[in-house]
Amino acid sequence: MSFREKSAWITLVTVLVCFGAYFVELFGGLSRESHHFGGLGSLHLLLLSVLALAGLQIALTAIAALTTPKHGRGPADERERMIQLRSQSLGYHVLMVLAVSLFAPAFFGHRGVEMANFALLAVVIAALTVAVAQIVMFRRGA
Amino acid sequence: MALPIANQIRRLRFEHGEMTQADLAERIGMTRQTVAAIEAGKYSPSLEAAFRIAHVFGVGLDDVFQWVS
Repeated sequence: MSFREKSAWITLVTVLVCFGAYFVELFGGLSRESHHFGGLGSLHLLLLSVLALAGLQIALTAIAALTTPKHGRGPADERERMIQLRSQSLGYHVLMVLAVSLFAPAFFGHRGVEMANFALLAVVIAALTVAVAQIVMFRRGA
Repeated sequence: MALPIANQIRRLRFEHGEMTQADLAERIGMTRQTVAAIEAGKYSPSLEAAFRIAHVFGVGLDDVFQWVS
């Protein structure tokens, strides 16, 4: 497995784990009628999630670098750059659709921190789309 | 979908001292996975990469890649 495919897996797993936990807690709090969802409490959760994400990504990327032969860690070649461009293009379109769909929660009366969380969810879904698209293309060959 | 371009990279590697995909990849500045994808017909390289591959084997482009109609 190439270093960049490992990086895509690392992004997928860490974003799923960290932001998955964040949104489960957030929306779980919503169902329990706590004040997490729209309150400043979500900022503490977000800070924890971002720190955990950064820590996990740094540690796992270091392990991936150590377990990849030196020649596999050089600059991206043309196929890898093509995969990155295609996956980012797909992620961009997903983000655009989700950004437009943010009108829906606004229409139902969500405001402020709540809307920020919906926007964050859109960014996370777009990032996951990029990672999954990269993994699929790396597995298929191109 | 299969690409309409066949290649002789596997045979040429064998004829050049059983060169590994990693060796070829290093000589053309690509990853082993990309060489494997080209060899398997899953990825069409750029013209520059195709010339680099042909240059490594000391043959013409036509000896490495063929259009399959």
